[in-house]
Amino acid sequence: MVSTFGSLATAYSGLTAARAGIDVTGQNIANAGTAGYTRQRVTQSSVPAVQTGFVHGTAALAGQGVSVDGIARLGSLTLDAGLRAATGSSAWAQTRATGLSAIEDGLHEPGKNGLSAQLDVFWSAWGDLAAHPDDAGAASSVIAAATTVATALATGSRALDTQWATVRSTAATQVDQLNAAAKQVAGLNVQIRSALAAGGSANELQDQRDRLTQQIAGLAGGTVRTNSDGTVDVLLGGNPLVQGDTVRTVALEGGARLGDGAAVSLRWTSGSAGSVTLDGGSIGGALALLAPAAGGTGGAIAEASAAYDRVATRLAETVNTEHAKGTTPSGATGAPFFALAAGTPAAQGLSVVPTDGDGLATRNAAGQLDDSFADTLSRLGTVAGGADRTWASFVAGVGSASRTASSEATLTGLALTSARTQQQSGAGVDLDEENVNLLSYQHAYQGAARVLTAVDEMLDTLINRVGLVGRG
Amino acid sequence: MITRVTTQMSITAATERLQANAARVADATQRATTLQAIAKPSDDPVGTGSSMQVRKEQAAAAQYTRNANDAVGWLATTDSALSGAHAVLTTVRDLTVQAANSGVMDDTARDAFITQFRALKADLESAANTTYGTRSVFAGSSTEATAYTSADGFAAATTAVSRRVGDAQTVRVDTPGAAAFGSGATSAFAVIDGIVADLQNGVNVNPKLNDVDAAFGTLRAAQADVGVRHAAALGAQDALKTSSVALETRRAGIEDLDLAGAVLDLQVQQTTYQAALAVTAKVLQPTLMDYLR
Repeated sequence: MVSTFGSLATAYSGLTAARAGIDVTGQNIANAGTAGYTRQRVTQSSVPAVQTGFVHGTAALAGQGVSVDGIARLGSLTLDAGLRAATGSSAWAQTRATGLSAIEDGLHEPGKNGLSAQLDVFWSAWGDLAAHPDDAGAASSVIAAATTVATALATGSRALDTQWATVRSTAATQVDQLNAAAKQVAGLNVQIRSALAAGGSANELQDQRDRLTQQIAGLAGGTVRTNSDGTVDVLLGGNPLVQGDTVRTVALEGGARLGDGAAVSLRWTSGSAGSVTLDGGSIGGALALLAPAAGGTGGAIAEASAAYDRVATRLAETVNTEHAKGTTPSGATGAPFFALAAGTPAAQGLSVVPTDGDGLATRNAAGQLDDSFADTLSRLGTVAGGADRTWASFVAGVGSASRTASSEATLTGLALTSARTQQQSGAGVDLDEENVNLLSYQHAYQGAARVLTAVDEMLDTLINRVGLVGRG
Repeated sequence: MITRVTTQMSITAATERLQANAARVADATQRATTLQAIAKPSDDPVGTGSSMQVRKEQAAAAQYTRNANDAVGWLATTDSALSGAHAVLTTVRDLTVQAANSGVMDDTARDAFITQFRALKADLESAANTTYGTRSVFAGSSTEATAYTSADGFAAATTAVSRRVGDAQTVRVDTPGAAAFGSGATSAFAVIDGIVADLQNGVNVNPKLNDVDAAFGTLRAAQADVGVRHAAALGAQDALKTSSVALETRRAGIEDLDLAGAVLDLQVQQTTYQAALAVTAKVLQPTLMDYLR
């Protein structure tokens, strides 16, 4: 048998539960636009009837109301992991595509501003010199065109140096972010562990931590492992970056300039040393871009720089070989046309030796005007293995690589969108749903209040109206 | 399969779709305004290679055209110089015939003939020193200031002067002076000198007519040769005109967009974008909030 005031307690528990429900719904609606927020729901259960024992027999008794057990966080670990993986590969592909696109923009091909067109002008200038070997104007236009080609090669090569340095410093900043995020994850691990151990709710802290682990995934890929005490471990290439409350740091090491030709790598700077194997993330993409040249399979920037050097070297070799066969007006033979400075990349060290027509091989051995040398030089643009062919195959190579990288970036971007949609589908706040919940909790509250009124009236009847038979 | 559609999800998806549409509109606008099919190598790596190759051929064709024009000019100058020389030799022959048929001449008449012959020789020398620009047309590769001096004859040339008018075609533009005017004792200049000497010595110049005719023969042969080369240069000019049109057509085919197609594409993209905007505005507005009171 239930005590007299037991029903009041039951009604009160209903009121409390409905209020808790409204609070949580309010929190959900308030955070409908918060990035990384995971929707929450009150978990409640019915309280069973008290076992009354043999004194009162085993009469059927109503339960004792409702209890609020906790506030559940309706996220999915699987979908979160999928989102992190997609973020990592998308960031990797995006970084690579951006780098290749920048290289490609620096080519200015096809069109009249590219190196190919400038080489055409150069060869044409030799053709004009062949027609007018004694013309100072034709001679100076050959030298001017050659200077333009050398400048274009140097500018392109320097732009690659700058791009390499920019990518490296961006990667260094991202490594700092990675270290900071890892430190915060470890800090949150501690807070969450103590909150959970004390039986409290750590939902908002977990949202924060998920945002950080996703940031880490975007920076460096990696996997996240959940532990039974509520903490997470973040693994990079199989080794822990964060383990419970301990955190390890990483740093970029290796070449500081493109000219160094040294590989740039990410290394552990605390705990056991060694290099970090990255399976994604923008730092991974940057490291792939920064890799040294390796005969066509190295890093895109270094390969492009090597291609500029190849073009410069081939240009100097082919032109000098032919030019050396002729005699200059002053009677010198074997005079070089291009010079390559030692110690600098060929593309940046290319310079034009003659300063006027006196340095150009326009004569034969007898000192007479001979157009054959200039004519051969004017046709070097079409020889197999010449500067033009080298350049054309490089441009086509960069074009193909950029095209592939860009479609890869698009595909991983689509995968990321899909993963985010899936994750939001589970964890996101739906305003319609929250409104319905709000209504139902409101009605539950009203219902519980009505029960309270009913019990109150019942007691009133019992106390004030019972036993008054025959009284005035 | 997504069973639960949340507010954030619809907003994100709508934003992404609008972004994608806007990007396509920007892309179509760029193509319609530049009318370039290949803005960067990755748009069409193979087309980029072809485009660079065609531009290279165009540059070469432009160079060959300049060379051919130069060759035509040089050979026309040579041709007119040879025609002038031919006229001089005709006069020389007429005078020789007159002198041969004048019987015994007094000094005045003889001196008049000699003066005329010397003047004609000077004309011939000036024809032999004809220049095209800075170059003597009969001096070949020589760097001498004048092609012919009566003391040294024609300047020695070691190599021919030619103009490249095609990948595998060159036209020789110089004409060795000796080939046109003869050399040594049989040269046109020596023949006139011989006539003058005979006149001075009172010898009948009639036999010299044969020498004059021989000089004519040499000159005509040279004229024919120049004519053939001139025709070759003119033919190359025509061929280059045709090929430059063909090359431009090829370049346009690779690099340029069809205006109608580009504008139509832009229009389609814009319409799609506007439709997406209108639909998004309709779909995103209502939530249950709008209907509860």
